[in-house]
Amino acid sequence: MNNIPLVHFLYLAAILFGVGMFGVLARKNAISVLMGIELMLNAVNINFLAFARYWNWNSLTGPVFVVFVITIAAAEAAVALAIIISIYRHLHTANVDDAHFLRG
Amino acid sequence: MENAIFYIIAGITVAAALMALTVRNLFHCALFLAIAMFGISGVFLYLNSDFLASVQVLIYVGAVTVIIIFGISLTRNMMDERSKAMNHQFLLSVVVAVFLTGIIVAAIQESPFFGSEHPASLVFTTVSSDQAQQPNSYEVSGHLFQNGVSYLAGALLKPENGFAFAFEFVSILLLSALVGAIVIARKDPL
Repeated sequence: MNNIPLVHFLYLAAILFGVGMFGVLARKNAISVLMGIELMLNAVNINFLAFARYWNWNSLTGPVFVVFVITIAAAEAAVALAIIISIYRHLHTANVDDAHFLRG
Repeated sequence: MENAIFYIIAGITVAAALMALTVRNLFHCALFLAIAMFGISGVFLYLNSDFLASVQVLIYVGAVTVIIIFGISLTRNMMDERSKAMNHQFLLSVVVAVFLTGIIVAAIQESPFFGSEHPASLVFTTVSSDQAQQPNSYEVSGHLFQNGVSYLAGALLKPENGFAFAFEFVSILLLSALVGAIVIARKDPL
């Protein structure tokens, strides 16, 4: 069994979350924004599993939540790409800054 | 040695994630995202979740990355080399991301998890004789491990755990997402 401290998993998850947040905020292309969101969700998954494994070994909740997060992330990716393709068909761009006709 | 491999995997994951969100070519972005997902799957293995690690490879490396590559191919004209990859909020985004990570790290260092060096040794169940007889568990160096697949299946589907309804409901969510994605992406809207 490894003896890596719990906080190192938490640090890794925090850094991945920050990287994903940077991608969501800074990228122009909508697909890159989607990649950033996937990275943030995965950082959360690492946190769930780390706490489940290190705090209560027999806990069911952490892995079960990871299963649900993975499922919902997959559904979200499919719907988001459908929206991006639809936007591209109407506006001929995948740039999130150009799709502002709901701004009012 | 085991620990060194973990830090190598973590470094590869973070580097691939950074590359996936800074490289201009979107196909390279998707491939770097696949590498990052492989790394996260390795981290899951370090957390003794064999089934979730394989699910991570199947869904993220196998499905989500391929879907993203399809999306990139279908929205192709963003691939020209002239346009910048970042929008005008680039510096502000760096500041926000670094600040957020710093806040989370500071919160971790304030938290009760920080002091204990090896919290894993505190909570691992040691093998008792009746537990070691269970069909889905195996013993490695005095610690009891459970087979990930049957463990998770029991966790999800046994009614006394309370996740069975959510498990069935999320399948309805998947079906509606499937139908919704097809409806949204249709050429002639309904």
